[in-house]
Amino acid sequence: MVKIRIDDRELEVQEGITIFNAASEAGIPIPHFCYHPAFVPEGTCRMCLVEIEGVPKLELACSTVVRDGMIVSTQSDRVRDGRKGVLEFLLAEHPLDCPICDQAGDCKLQDYYEDYGLYESQFSEVKDKHDKKVDLGKHLIHDQERCVLCRRCVRFLCEVTGTEDLGVFERGSHTEVNLYLDNQVDNNYSGNLAQICPVGAITDKDFRFQTRSWFLEEAESICPLCSRGCSIQIGYHPGFSRFSLPKRVYRIRAKTNETVNGYWICDLGRYGYRYLDENRATNLKARDSQSRIQWDAAVTLLSEKIKRLYYMKRTSRITVILNSALTNEELYLAGKIFQKDLTDVNIFFADAAPESGDDVLLTSERTPNRRGALELGFDLKPVDMDILSSQTDLVIIFGTHILETHSLSDLSNAMENIPAKFVLAPHTSDLDPMVDMVLPSTHIAEKAGSLTNIDGLVQSFQSALHPLGESQAEWQVLVDLGKELAINFKFYGQFSNPKNINREMGKEVPFFGK
Amino acid sequence: MLKHLGFFIEIVKGSIITIRHFVVNMFYHILNLFGIKTKRRGAVTRQYPEAPIQLASRHRSLHRLLQRDDGKPRCVVCMLCATVCPSECIYIEAAEESDPEIQKVPSTFIIDLSRCCFCGFCVEACPEDAIRMDTGEVELARYGRGDLVYNLEKLLG
Repeated sequence: MVKIRIDDRELEVQEGITIFNAASEAGIPIPHFCYHPAFVPEGTCRMCLVEIEGVPKLELACSTVVRDGMIVSTQSDRVRDGRKGVLEFLLAEHPLDCPICDQAGDCKLQDYYEDYGLYESQFSEVKDKHDKKVDLGKHLIHDQERCVLCRRCVRFLCEVTGTEDLGVFERGSHTEVNLYLDNQVDNNYSGNLAQICPVGAITDKDFRFQTRSWFLEEAESICPLCSRGCSIQIGYHPGFSRFSLPKRVYRIRAKTNETVNGYWICDLGRYGYRYLDENRATNLKARDSQSRIQWDAAVTLLSEKIKRLYYMKRTSRITVILNSALTNEELYLAGKIFQKDLTDVNIFFADAAPESGDDVLLTSERTPNRRGALELGFDLKPVDMDILSSQTDLVIIFGTHILETHSLSDLSNAMENIPAKFVLAPHTSDLDPMVDMVLPSTHIAEKAGSLTNIDGLVQSFQSALHPLGESQAEWQVLVDLGKELAINFKFYGQFSNPKNINREMGKEVPFFGK
Repeated sequence: MLKHLGFFIEIVKGSIITIRHFVVNMFYHILNLFGIKTKRRGAVTRQYPEAPIQLASRHRSLHRLLQRDDGKPRCVVCMLCATVCPSECIYIEAAEESDPEIQKVPSTFIIDLSRCCFCGFCVEACPEDAIRMDTGEVELARYGRGDLVYNLEKLLG
């Protein structure tokens, strides 16, 4: 440990770290473009200048290692003046097309100009022309005029994906970041380039001109598209009071989580957000009634049908098709109701089919909570069509993944003979016309709870978005159903949010009690 | 009888007010006639709507969108007007333009005049001088609310 002083603050920091890291640990912001915690410091942007007592010139905070007794100043007049000069050179060739730039609002050039710039331009020369719309690949557009040559993108492609598609070409004011030969940036992590670009040089095609970033609000959630459980930030539009927007969610970005995904997420998670708004089931629908039904009436009806079979000792003719996109709490409740309260119910799992993964983040399992289901003691049996078609009097289907593994005609043949059929799913699907009642449920982003990722890490999360329309989280429906069944009313009566359920689950299943 | 006397008193009161206004205004008009400047000016009756009113040049009237030389809207959909609008009555959607110098053009531009408070912030916020409120059109009464929703075509004129 060494003792240093940054801006009148005495700090005791680890030996060998840089001034930048020491300052950011202490919460002292230092402006920077090229420094990114995932990469080795490079010192190309020269924005992180600081003054060190006894050193004649301003030094770079990102690449200067701390020494014992070092006295650093990050806000002195000399430092501010130096940063202003750096910014003036960076902006000398910048096109200033903020009105059409998707980065406006998130842009570091804008922020630092407010903090350190505020000068009158001294450049009367015409700015250099570069290509304003280079197609970098499936998801990215590159504007060479806006680039500040921080080389974050080049380093990302060298150090993280190893594909090395981008390089820096030419010299002087003609310097530009471009593709090698006829390469394309088309790996599964390309979307991260748009996120790490500190200015608007690399932007998302998907987000291009959709909205302005200051309209969006960010909420944290967990990506449910594979079993890695990456932390994500959902950028959603709270909407205008008068005009209806085409969608709620405009972009998903990686949230830094050192233990799981680091600073990145894959393109599947980043651009696959359409499931949140498209084909959503928003209203309760009953096949034989035209009038609107309410949630309590629907749950009462469901519980009456279950109770009838329960009193006739025919619970073995109940089939429940769960999925492992449900949270730990929901699976725990489902286990309680269908395994403990009603014994010998047939429980199957219908999940998204596994696809090929990669060895960075994306796993081949495409469902977020398979490990959690295993830890809760489910055996994850796939759907047995014989039991569904001939030995079932009541079926409750969670989610619509069963359509991926079974053909529509098989399903409708099997379902024809079942007297009571219920679907609890966030999406409308071809199952809807087959069943008695469709109950709209929510996505991971719209509910709270916890998920267990492929390595057995239990991550809890809060709801990022409001449930759409009448939809309700599955845990709420299961708690209501448990209470309505009244086999063990007191147990379900204590649950008012996923936290209570989690606590109870932790007592019972030691894996979740850690 | 007493009741009728009451009416008579009110008529006299009203006449006094009318006469006072006449005399006071006449006084200022006469002063004005002789070139004597006063702080207060005599009232004038205008025959609106039969005779049109001359609006001040900075008067904020119905919006219009300005065009480039080739007839395309100048707007680049920076959405600063929609951001600054206190009554949230502007809605814009962007489209891609093939010219790399423009890139972004509006595909939808809606101003809901039934909500607009004519503050003029949109004009002030616009970095491209694409929206102005200088049409001089102030008679904006319509029979339906829908007629007050102005789209891109109507705003371009």
